[in-house]
Amino acid sequence: MTTTAQTYAGAAPSARGGSITRNRRKVLILSYVFLVLFVIFFLTPPLYMFITSLKTSAEISAEVSPWWVFSPTLANYIQLLTSPVYLTFFRNSILVSTFVVAITMVVSILAAFSLARMKFWGSATLATGVFLTYLIPDTLLFIPMFKTFAFLHDLTGIEFINHWWVLVIIYPTLTIPFCTWIMIGYFSSIPKELDEAALIDGASYMQLLTKIFVPVALPGIIAAAIFAFTVSWAQFLYPLAFTTSTDQLVLPVGIVTTLIKGDVFNWGQIMTGALLGAAPPLILYAFLMDYYIAGLTAGATKG
Amino acid sequence: MRELQSGRRRFMTIAAGLAAAPYVRTSRAAGTLNIGVWDHWVPGANAVFTGLCNEWAAREKVELKIDFITTQGNKLMLTIASEAQAGAGHDVLAMPTFWATGHERHLEPVDDVMATLIKQNGKVVDVVEYLGRQDGRWLAVPATPGSQIKPPCGRIDLFKKHVGLDLTKMYPAGHAPDASLADRWTWDTFATAAEKCRQAGHPFGLGLGQTTDSTDWVGALFAAYGAELVDAKGEIRVRTDAVREVLEFAKRLAHALAPDVSAWDDASNNKWLISGKGALIMNPPSAWAVAKRDAPKVAEQLWTFPSPKGPKGRVQPGLPFYWGIWKFSRNKAAAKSLLTYLSLRPQVEKLVNGSGGFDIPGFSGLRDFGIWSREGPPKGTLYNYPPRSDQIVAIAAAPAPTAIANQIYAQGTLPKMVARYAFGGESLARTLDRTESELEGMMRT
Amino acid sequence: MSVIAHADRIQAPPGAAVRRRKSFLRRRSTVAFFMALPLILIVALLVLYPASYAVYLSTLNKTMERFVGFGNFLFLFKRDSFWMVVEQSVIFAVTAVLFKAVIGLVVAHFVHNLPAKGQRKWRGMLLVPWVIPPAMSTLAWLWLFDPSYSAFNWIFAHFGIDPVPWLGNPYWARFAVILVNVWVGAPFFMIMYLAALKSVPDQLYEAAEIDGANWFQKLWYVTLPMMRNIISITVLFSLIVTFANFDIVRVLTNGGPLDQTQVFATWAFRLGIESNDIPLGASVSLFMFPVLAFAAIFILRDINRRGNEA
Repeated sequence: MTTTAQTYAGAAPSARGGSITRNRRKVLILSYVFLVLFVIFFLTPPLYMFITSLKTSAEISAEVSPWWVFSPTLANYIQLLTSPVYLTFFRNSILVSTFVVAITMVVSILAAFSLARMKFWGSATLATGVFLTYLIPDTLLFIPMFKTFAFLHDLTGIEFINHWWVLVIIYPTLTIPFCTWIMIGYFSSIPKELDEAALIDGASYMQLLTKIFVPVALPGIIAAAIFAFTVSWAQFLYPLAFTTSTDQLVLPVGIVTTLIKGDVFNWGQIMTGALLGAAPPLILYAFLMDYYIAGLTAGATKG
Repeated sequence: MRELQSGRRRFMTIAAGLAAAPYVRTSRAAGTLNIGVWDHWVPGANAVFTGLCNEWAAREKVELKIDFITTQGNKLMLTIASEAQAGAGHDVLAMPTFWATGHERHLEPVDDVMATLIKQNGKVVDVVEYLGRQDGRWLAVPATPGSQIKPPCGRIDLFKKHVGLDLTKMYPAGHAPDASLADRWTWDTFATAAEKCRQAGHPFGLGLGQTTDSTDWVGALFAAYGAELVDAKGEIRVRTDAVREVLEFAKRLAHALAPDVSAWDDASNNKWLISGKGALIMNPPSAWAVAKRDAPKVAEQLWTFPSPKGPKGRVQPGLPFYWGIWKFSRNKAAAKSLLTYLSLRPQVEKLVNGSGGFDIPGFSGLRDFGIWSREGPPKGTLYNYPPRSDQIVAIAAAPAPTAIANQIYAQGTLPKMVARYAFGGESLARTLDRTESELEGMMRT
Repeated sequence: MSVIAHADRIQAPPGAAVRRRKSFLRRRSTVAFFMALPLILIVALLVLYPASYAVYLSTLNKTMERFVGFGNFLFLFKRDSFWMVVEQSVIFAVTAVLFKAVIGLVVAHFVHNLPAKGQRKWRGMLLVPWVIPPAMSTLAWLWLFDPSYSAFNWIFAHFGIDPVPWLGNPYWARFAVILVNVWVGAPFFMIMYLAALKSVPDQLYEAAEIDGANWFQKLWYVTLPMMRNIISITVLFSLIVTFANFDIVRVLTNGGPLDQTQVFATWAFRLGIESNDIPLGASVSLFMFPVLAFAAIFILRDINRRGNEA
């Protein structure tokens, strides 16, 4: 099955015979022109964040070109990277996202395998229905969830609210449906003969899953994991509602709530914090992009 | 002034006695206490607060945990709503404006604490009572951190040059205002000044968006004209002459303001002033403090002074903060002890100083601290920040029942009304109709 | 389940192949159920249970002391402001999703046209908006749209164009809110469509070319039908998420000016949290559920059917 991924990655329409070369060149130039335009659209805000992050707050307030840095400074970066508070946000974000990815992958791989390959009463409905959980918005859920956690606190004595790990419990509701769906797609694309052969050889379902499906579906798993990571890294409302103490906050909430004071925006630091906060997912994508595409290709196009 | 001073002396003796014996000690607090308080924007203010709390905690042997919760991103509001619904969370939580009365059923009454404090600190200002007391019971203790007034803050140079008015002469630092100038400082004068500044390229920066800064100044304007949308009995009073008059005036004023004001948020006016474009905004001294850091040339020209007056008086927008004790708290005695301690004069003065004069205590006896004359440059710029003499401090939508006023306030009904009439090309009748229908929707129980 | 588990343990008589097959299927379905159990539990405990509590909340009066049934919904249906929010949410979500899908498709095509080794960096650059947490990137947009400091208006000023009231005029504000939403979401479409494009076998295009199809015909008769599933699912996913969008509108306009950019989530927040009327806020949030659920079931059924054919 790794061949699937390779075929797709290698199938870029590079050389397809000489007769249409000129036509292709025209298409290529056109593509580049439009891509440049789109890249400008897509990258203007991050670029502007970067420019602003290099400025002092005096320069930000001054009546000079907002698109140029006249007296660049790394003070914002140094301040944030040496601030224990900011580093705590970073650590919390990484912990939360890592755990969420782990939980999501275990739950959705098991569920996807069961829904794609083995059937049980209601499995078809569940495969469709799991996607519907996205219909219930977080703005509606957070108060009942708060109440649930308070109830659990009374029952067990464990304090759920205002701990970063409560997010590890909540976020999977946002990641699991989509990841399960991708994995169902990927697993469906694996030929049935493979599991039949393994089962005849006496393998159990668990062995079938761990020894055959997981290795074969690795690109899909990576794609789903990246998705889960992106989603949990970016969450805002749940951490805003469920964590309060500075040592429990995750990055987006930490930046918005500690760098903005009252009606005063500390733009240089906010932009710096945002850029640094975007770095981990960016790095992840840079390294795993090919897997991501390959995984989605097989997982998302089947359904 | 003399009266205040003797009041202070009397207080000192009481306070000295208090520290030695009664309330605090007898309650024998102990245990743990979890408090969530407003995350102050002034650097260092939180540290002063923490210091005071720790002193108390050490003395009372209470294990105290403080969370500073910002109002940014509605964090504090979410926390209050969630904790009220869940019946779990902090013991004490900071609550701005309407949030204490909004959660009446979930709050432990604090009449005993307030009785002590009123005896010590003097009468409570009207607006603080309106938002802190319901059906004869005090629901929460007025908090010093975060309680603020939003008077005008104007540019001395621009006013001199374009309006021909010396702000520092009208409301000087250190002594009483110039009676004749202050008497002529009316909303009408204000609108004329706004027009002159607009022509000179420095329009006033008063928002007509839907956040609190916008609602606050429009609320003060309405109150100065005696225009109540809903009266104290809960009756809709949109179709009155006062409302028509104030809307006509607001339309005139709105056209003299900065462009875009209907989209302004709480940060827009600050930026407008700090950028040097604006001649005046209405805001607590946060704008000045940031200007001092980022645009010192602008800061040197800033002067805070009282609102203009209208037919019904000189109304200043005021936003009190409270500390509420949840009914579900397991350590109410300790909570009350802490809140009492924090509201006594020596602690309040430290808190106000820590906030650079930003905080305005809710008790009439606690508005004579030296900090407001000391701050600068320009020296004395905050002298007129705490309300004195003829000023009425009010919150927008008062005196409507708080459950209704809360909605008028939160939904920005007042600035929306002005923006609609001024910029939306609506007739007066249409604006009144729409507002009335909107208000009818707020009568739910 | 215990019945099935029990039946499982009773060994089928040897030789009865049909019976054995049956028990095999039963055992299989038991294992399958347990594998899906974590998913079921999470959805039930953290989505369905809180959601039903929210439904209960929506049937209470403002002070939450009295049951009013559908009273809150009937109240909402009579309010002009509610219908305005419905209209705006639909405009917002439909326009934003449409643009996201079109831009995603166009950009995916252009990237797909590039030689394989050059694609990586373009994909990387184009994916940036999707990777930055929206709560952060929206702040950058807010700063770009700022009335006093707008960097766009600064450029315009150099070309003699009047400053644009990005968030000040209702129409510009709607444009700005949609623009930012498209900016955040388009890369996700792009990457999904790119993945889909890669799975279309080259032979199909070659065949179409031999038949003399032009680029549009190739798109219409080859690409789009092959991508049908993925287009439906991304559009559905995005429609749901966009309808529920909170961060972007909240940060940029807070619903203003004059409530003209208010959408379901921000309006629900304004009523429920800020105006201290949680039941009404819950009712607003719940209102869109049946509409979207209907659309979703429709789309998902279609996809499932096609999936089985394949």
